[in-house]
Amino acid sequence: MLLEVRDLHVEFRTRDGVARAVNGVSYGVDEGETLAVLGESGSGKSVTAQAIMGILDVPPGRITGGEVVFQGRDLLKLKEDERRKVRGAEMSMIFQDALSSLNPVLSVGDQLGEMFTVHRGMSRKDARAKAVELMDRVRIPAARERVKQYPHQFSGGMRQRVMIAMALALEPALIIADEPTTALDVTVQAQVMELLAELRREYRMGLILITHDLGVVADVADRIAVMYAGRIVESAPVHDIYKAPAHPYTRGLLDSVPRLDLKGRELYAIKGLPPNLTHIPPGCAFHPRCPLARDVCRTDEPPLHEVADTRGSACHFWRECLNG
Amino acid sequence: MAEPIIEVSDLVKHYPLTRGVLFRKQVGAVRAVDGVDFHLGRGETLGIVGESGCGKSTVAKMLVNLERPTAGSIRYKGEDITRLSGRALKAVRRNIQMVFQDPYTSLNPRMTVGDIIGEPYDIHPEVAPKGDRRRRVQDLLDVVGLDPEYINRYPHQFSGGQRQRIGIARGLALRPEVIVADEPVSALDVSVQAQVINLMDRLQREFELSCVFIAHDLSIVRHISDRVGVMYLGRIVETGTDTEIYEHPTHPYTQALLSAVPVPDPEAREHRERIILSGDVPSPTNIPSGCRFRTRCWKARERCAREVPALAVPAWFRTGGGPAAHDSACHFAADGSIGRSAPGQVVPLEGHGGGPG
Amino acid sequence: MSDRHYEPEPALAATAVGGTVDLGVEEAETPKKRPAGPDGPAPQDRPRSLWSDAWRDLRRNPVFIVSGLVILFLVLIALWPSAIASRSPLDCDLSKAQEGSQAGHPFGFDGQGCDVYTRTVHGARTSVAVGVLATLGVAVLGSVLGALAGFFGGIWDSILSRITDVFFAIPVVLGGLVLLSVITSDTVWPVIGFIVLLGWPQLSRIARGAVITAKQHDYVQAARALGASNSRLMLRHIAPNAVAPVIVVATISLGTYIALEATLSYLGVGLKPPSVSWGIDISAASPYVRNAPHALLWPSGALAITVLAFIMLGDAVRDALDPKLR
Repeated sequence: MLLEVRDLHVEFRTRDGVARAVNGVSYGVDEGETLAVLGESGSGKSVTAQAIMGILDVPPGRITGGEVVFQGRDLLKLKEDERRKVRGAEMSMIFQDALSSLNPVLSVGDQLGEMFTVHRGMSRKDARAKAVELMDRVRIPAARERVKQYPHQFSGGMRQRVMIAMALALEPALIIADEPTTALDVTVQAQVMELLAELRREYRMGLILITHDLGVVADVADRIAVMYAGRIVESAPVHDIYKAPAHPYTRGLLDSVPRLDLKGRELYAIKGLPPNLTHIPPGCAFHPRCPLARDVCRTDEPPLHEVADTRGSACHFWRECLNG
Repeated sequence: MAEPIIEVSDLVKHYPLTRGVLFRKQVGAVRAVDGVDFHLGRGETLGIVGESGCGKSTVAKMLVNLERPTAGSIRYKGEDITRLSGRALKAVRRNIQMVFQDPYTSLNPRMTVGDIIGEPYDIHPEVAPKGDRRRRVQDLLDVVGLDPEYINRYPHQFSGGQRQRIGIARGLALRPEVIVADEPVSALDVSVQAQVINLMDRLQREFELSCVFIAHDLSIVRHISDRVGVMYLGRIVETGTDTEIYEHPTHPYTQALLSAVPVPDPEAREHRERIILSGDVPSPTNIPSGCRFRTRCWKARERCAREVPALAVPAWFRTGGGPAAHDSACHFAADGSIGRSAPGQVVPLEGHGGGPG
Repeated sequence: MSDRHYEPEPALAATAVGGTVDLGVEEAETPKKRPAGPDGPAPQDRPRSLWSDAWRDLRRNPVFIVSGLVILFLVLIALWPSAIASRSPLDCDLSKAQEGSQAGHPFGFDGQGCDVYTRTVHGARTSVAVGVLATLGVAVLGSVLGALAGFFGGIWDSILSRITDVFFAIPVVLGGLVLLSVITSDTVWPVIGFIVLLGWPQLSRIARGAVITAKQHDYVQAARALGASNSRLMLRHIAPNAVAPVIVVATISLGTYIALEATLSYLGVGLKPPSVSWGIDISAASPYVRNAPHALLWPSGALAITVLAFIMLGDAVRDALDPKLR
């Protein structure tokens, strides 16, 4: 396993109490594998990624338990300066909003080159050449000319390519992409996802793709971890989960996508709202919205049951769910 | 075809680009909407899809008279409403209402829900006598699935989905005939989107509304619309019934758009043919000559740079009829039925790719 | 032109109803709210408004409490100076000039033999009057003009912006020396008038910006689409949402206006004796600061504390009115 997260807990202190953003999340990514982490806002999917990268805002955030084992080392036990060496060089991150992630007063070439001057001690000239090479590799046309331009002179899709180039610069073993295409248009989104998939194959990187889009997941992921209220509720290979979800939340999400054969009829809608993280319902956090909920769900938190060899569901009634 | 309640013809909105401070000089124009025609039948839902910057939101604003068109007309029951003012405008506004995209900015944070939904009655006091308003507001809350007791609460006490319900209730208060919804669910969580879509669907039938539903999510538009128009760079490039557009798209842009939509089915990804367009949408200040899609189109030929294709049923489909025979603004329109003869990936002629957007 | 593609994840300040509320039809089973932020939480539990929130913050803010008490005290002695200083500030005895602190005269005497304590207390009236009246004038003139420019835009906005540019270019002290030296008056009005004249452009800019921001919100568009009149849009939708920055800047400016009055009086173009003002006293005491430092110290100390109190108050109000800082 390239990266293994074990029983991670993260809390936020707010004026309304302690918000439990991540409550015992465990997942792993292999070399060359794409893991999609699927969830809505407040599910804890981004916070988990921030904790892995070590870019969580502390305070108000606080990691209260768990391990993040990356290439055999527990990152949470490393000192900050050791951690910094891992960040960027061995694992890197792509954010949703490329415009605000790039420095507006530095040229794109300077920002890409910085990766090499800082981490690799290259000269400015060599770094510039490397920057051009990288921009070529993420298929930015006319890289030699555009390397001198500033982020605002790039379109949204091109900026996201620059972000990807930056994440790739030091050939990390793991890339975490947090909603990388959400801010982009469909046609541009397709370009960027294609590029990411290609590069992942080329470099044999592990990729954690954080998203709320079921379509994107189906397109590129090998495995899926579905998050709800700071927990993994279902984890499975991508083909299995779309064929037969083993958790009512996953089923609800899949069913609420408009489908051709159901046109003109009511869409299936998961009732209610995602929970407030300062007051997560007891038992199974999903029970107030769940069509299968029974008394046991209100009191006992379901463990991640083994559904199949590489498949788990945190539902007391996963068998029922699996059979529709 | 239902009798049209709204007819839009040759609608244009250009925003001038000016230089200079006191003495402004026009140096160009953002051609946000650049010649749009469509009609909306009574009781019909027309979906308008397109990517960001294609002008679909500007069309929505012109429909509800929040923007004045540079040229063209919008006829509501035969009367051009684009040049109205004063009392006549106010009367028309009663009948065409809007649902906004962002439920977090579309409700005044300093007003209670009762004030927000009741405001239409303050502005149009003839609709409801004063004593009756509270009851009407509570009825509306009930209609959109909120507890009528919420009348004294403030917007920030509600979630995104509930706020969107409040926005819908406000839009319905005057019993309009037409609702223009601009991306009404795109700011909501996936699990809440379906709730709001169902609500809008139900209300449309219950109140016999005619709807213009604007969105970038193709599957949602398909679910809710009777007819669909596809916009690209300020123009409608293809329009037809949902089956015509989704199963027999004839415009290359529509085909590319449909093939780019990620499908929530991992089985499809191996044998699905995708058209990946290169490059970005050109800037609306500098629209390509001829067909505006030609810079990204794999079918583009010389003719496309010279002649602007008209939005009409292509001649070669006209005789046969069938689902491919619908309006499409392409010189080389061809039935690109998904799954049948999906076009492969072809490199466009002119690489406009990567131009600053 | 605003086909924004929101997606559900980022910090749409999501809040919802609290535990006490029962929800609507489909949402009836989760009486809990959704958290805000990128997976982050900031939920709320009971009815709140910006103002009640701000007040709650302020009451817990020591900066606000201290500055508030100082200002309250100042306002009280400005209204009733005789309550703690029964002598007349003009009751001077040259024979006691520059004498130090003594019984009944805790602050000593100044160069004219006037009681420094009495004059410092009575000087508060001028300072507070100038500060409050000038701020009111600036706020009314600046926010009305700024709001109109921001609301209507176009040519009016251009004209106003150019006018404010011109006023910004006037050096305050030099302008004061030139303008006020030609006016002879015993009252505070010329000084107030001058401050308003030079102060309104700053506030009009703030008001203009706030109105433009508020105007772009969808709820203003929604009201417009309902057929609301301009005055309704302005009074009901824009003004309540744009007033916060104006209040904040006005509070901070109040302190600087008091300092400006003292500066002008010190330079001899503001208030003139026999008016009583801290600026006049500072000016009068400065030539003999070596012999009688107390005569300079007390009025300038009072001035410094007052200015500081208003600026601190403004700061606290700004923080309290900025939801992003919570």
